Amino acid sequence: MPAIKEEYQQNCLLTYQGPITVNLVSFLGNYIKSFIDYDTKVLVRLFKIYIELTQNVSYYSAETKEVKNGVNCGVGWFTLQEFKDSFRITTGNRILKSDGPKLTQYCNEINGLNEEELRELKRKTRAQAMVRDVGAHIGLIQTSLTSGNKLDFNIESINRSLSFFTISTKVVKP
Amino acid sequence: MESLVINEVKGSPYFPYVNFNAETGICEIRGESYMEETYKFYEPLIKWINDFIRQNKPLVMHFKLTYFNTNSSRLILDILDIFKKYRASGGQIEVYWHYDTKDPDMVEEIEDFMAESGMEISMVTF
Repeated sequence: MPAIKEEYQQNCLLTYQGPITVNLVSFLGNYIKSFIDYDTKVLVRLFKIYIELTQNVSYYSAETKEVKNGVNCGVGWFTLQEFKDSFRITTGNRILKSDGPKLTQYCNEINGLNEEELRELKRKTRAQAMVRDVGAHIGLIQTSLTSGNKLDFNIESINRSLSFFTISTKVVKP
Repeated sequence: MESLVINEVKGSPYFPYVNFNAETGICEIRGESYMEETYKFYEPLIKWINDFIRQNKPLVMHFKLTYFNTNSSRLILDILDIFKKYRASGGQIEVYWHYDTKDPDMVEEIEDFMAESGMEISMVTF
């Protein structure tokens, strides 16, 4: 896996790289809620964004690892950074190169909408989603809605079949 | 018909507490919901609700979820759709959503559920 870039490691409060299980998501999510000393409303938003983005890695990373009891989960990384005016959450994971255009389309579509349009898109996407797998799209819509900011994303080629997807968003401090 | 109770498990806060009372028709889902294979958790809940309303008894649902991921929200919407159909066919149903005012976005989430399902939800603060 490509190393976490320096820009995602400055002022880092929390970082993890490896298999992302639901137990890990829960454990570190609890850390965000309980041990970061900041306004509760901001922490609630950070927690929600953190869950959606890390679970997208867990479910959809092209690199998986079998952990305990035969459970397979996605491999990737995430970071939580604190700056003077905001917090930023970023995740990175391998994707199939063929999924790159679709992800780019999702993110560009989301970034082009205002809040009301995003809510409308969320309702439409959720109504059409399958029960067994709602897909990554709605998680990205929710992430943008919760953060109130654009999705900053990047897709870099690794080889013929794989790319690396990095996605980042911030929660502005009140 | 038996009540459905799923207790919280320490170390697995991603499963909510569930108490669906078959005698009173008062139902509660409380906590956080972001488990893997969400449908496997919600399927028995949806089955219980379908079985209960087949008896044409009144049902009161209290949602006390402080966090649910987008996968869970899809299943919650299914539950609200069942309620909407039950009410349209003459069934008696009340839905309450209890929320913490420290959550800046929950009211919008509940409004979205109402808009999508057409089911009225009474909002109650903790």
